[in-house]
Amino acid sequence: MKLMLVDDEERFLSSIAKLLSKKGIDAVTATSGAEAIEKLKRQTIHVVILDVKMPGMDGNETLVEIKKLFPMVEVIMLTGHATVEFAVDGLKSGATDYLMKPIGIDDLIQKAEEAFEKRQRLEEKIRMAQARK
Amino acid sequence: MKKNHYQTMRKTILASMILVPIIPFLLVLAIGYYYFTTSLESSTITRMKRIVEDHGQMIESFLAERKADLDFIIHSYRYEDLIQPGKLAEIFEHLQKNANAFVDLGIFNQDGVHVAYHGPFKLTGKVYKEVDWFQKVLKQGYYTSDIFLGYRQIPHFIIAVAKEVDGKKWVIRATIDSFMFNNLVKRVRIGKTGEAYILNADGILQTERRSGGNLMTKPPDNIKYPEENSGIESFINTDAKGEKYLFTTAWLKDKKWLLVVRQEKADVFQTLRAAAYLIILIMIIGGTGIIGVAFFLCERIVRRMEEMDSEKESLGDQLIRASRLAELGEMAAGFAHEINNPLQIMKNEQSLIEMNLAELKENGQLKPSESLAEMEDSLDQIELQISRCADITQGILKFGRQTEYVLQDIDLRNLVPEVIALVEKKAAVHGIRLKQTLSEDTPLIHGDPSQLQQVLLNLFNNAIDAVVERHGSHGGEMEIESGPVDNLKVKILVKDNGCGISLQNSNKIFTPFFTTKPVGKGTGLGLSVCYGIIDNLGGTINVSSEKGHGTTFTIILPAAG
Repeated sequence: MKLMLVDDEERFLSSIAKLLSKKGIDAVTATSGAEAIEKLKRQTIHVVILDVKMPGMDGNETLVEIKKLFPMVEVIMLTGHATVEFAVDGLKSGATDYLMKPIGIDDLIQKAEEAFEKRQRLEEKIRMAQARK
Repeated sequence: MKKNHYQTMRKTILASMILVPIIPFLLVLAIGYYYFTTSLESSTITRMKRIVEDHGQMIESFLAERKADLDFIIHSYRYEDLIQPGKLAEIFEHLQKNANAFVDLGIFNQDGVHVAYHGPFKLTGKVYKEVDWFQKVLKQGYYTSDIFLGYRQIPHFIIAVAKEVDGKKWVIRATIDSFMFNNLVKRVRIGKTGEAYILNADGILQTERRSGGNLMTKPPDNIKYPEENSGIESFINTDAKGEKYLFTTAWLKDKKWLLVVRQEKADVFQTLRAAAYLIILIMIIGGTGIIGVAFFLCERIVRRMEEMDSEKESLGDQLIRASRLAELGEMAAGFAHEINNPLQIMKNEQSLIEMNLAELKENGQLKPSESLAEMEDSLDQIELQISRCADITQGILKFGRQTEYVLQDIDLRNLVPEVIALVEKKAAVHGIRLKQTLSEDTPLIHGDPSQLQQVLLNLFNNAIDAVVERHGSHGGEMEIESGPVDNLKVKILVKDNGCGISLQNSNKIFTPFFTTKPVGKGTGLGLSVCYGIIDNLGGTINVSSEKGHGTTFTIILPAAG
């Protein structure tokens, strides 16, 4: 599973990346929505963990963009602001789930894995459908 | 100052409410009284005058008829015939058939000798030559006397007519039945005291007066005689006893007699007095009514205004508090959000340290030691404090923005016992007596059960804490009540006999982070979250408390449907 973390706080990105690597998960980081899309274009990433509140392109805009360009990528929204509106907006735009800051590393991994499994199931279905053709 | 304001308002309203109706009311009464009085007075006086006029005419015509009787005799019979014995008696009989007005009849020759007489007295042969009336009748040809005593020594008056035949004058005289004449005059009877009588030019009574005053006496009241040529006069005069009378007078008999009709003023204007009493009565009753109604209405208006003002004030307070809390909610939510980001990093860093430490220990690079144990304890503590911070920010976010909730009809009669069950044990441990009074007609409310549970639980826990603080583990009481308020609202009361809240604190208890509990024991968010929930459901939550006696929380929620 390849993860990408998108947040404007670099220290958050570096610490979480270190934690993930310690847990044996390969993670890419991006400090803005634009950078995240750039990186998505260049490498295969399965799950994106996306902060809602960012300068420039905010979380929801980035989400819409990602889903448009890479519909297969699973996106988990990360917010300091667990409001119904944000959650509903995110989920409507195609987010898989949402997380509330501060979140423990184990919870984060669990959610990411759930998303990854979902993606794998979806890919499986696509493969099956294509094989039947 | 506020009180003063109401006092001034009360006075103004009262003054206008009394003066505005009472001025026209009194004016109407006064004008009515004035016109009624004048019209009654003038009509009374007119009536009196008419009575006097009629009566005067009747008396005059009576006298004229009697004179005509004598004229008829003197012109129909010759002197020689009349003095024949028995002739006069025959004529007298004849006259009396016509009008029973004469007492006697007599014939006099030029020398005043009473030559023939018919009547009850023995007057034949008496000589009247020097007598006043005889002189006058010879001179004027006709004479009516005042009342006098004469030979017979009885009050009477006479009518005499003279005739001249061949240079010789003779006279016929009749005495008027003074009893009959008296009755004729006295017949007038007006009200209780109205009476009529005749005075001669010297003010001597010519007829009896019903209220006292004999013939030929002078009544003590001084009547002012009207002008010689005046008609019927009316005036008020006071008699010797000080009684006021309305006098009406008319001249009779060529202004030699004065017909007087008098009536006590009080008697004349009796209806007037009755009207005056009635008006005074109406004035008293009406005035009292106006003043009473004014006082009553004024009191009601002012009280209603006071109520409205205080309602407005408390509404204003609530609005201010609500808007302040809303602002605070926004701010707190933003603040919580901002805190969550660094909190996230701290959490990450703490996990990293922990992991690295574990690795070092595993690799044997770190030997177990007291300082290592202390470091691990510190890390645990950091983790704990971070999660505490997270709890706080969660709480703030809950207060500021409501998370997802499910609205449904809730029956408080089921919900309250459920929540009570959650705190029953805790209450029992602290010796608190729980009492539930859930009215059978408590309406359903529309809301999220878990939120309402949260509110009640919060209030119950606060109540228990307050009771424990005051009573320890004995004598605590907590009561919960529910019931309808005017069909559209539901009231929930949570009462305790705990330590109470001071006035200055009770204004702040719904403010986020306000707590009186020791550090670490409470976040100061419980009641602000309750407030947010109740506000969200369109209800209100209020507190009334007395320091040292207890606290009552009142929740008002709209009824479902």
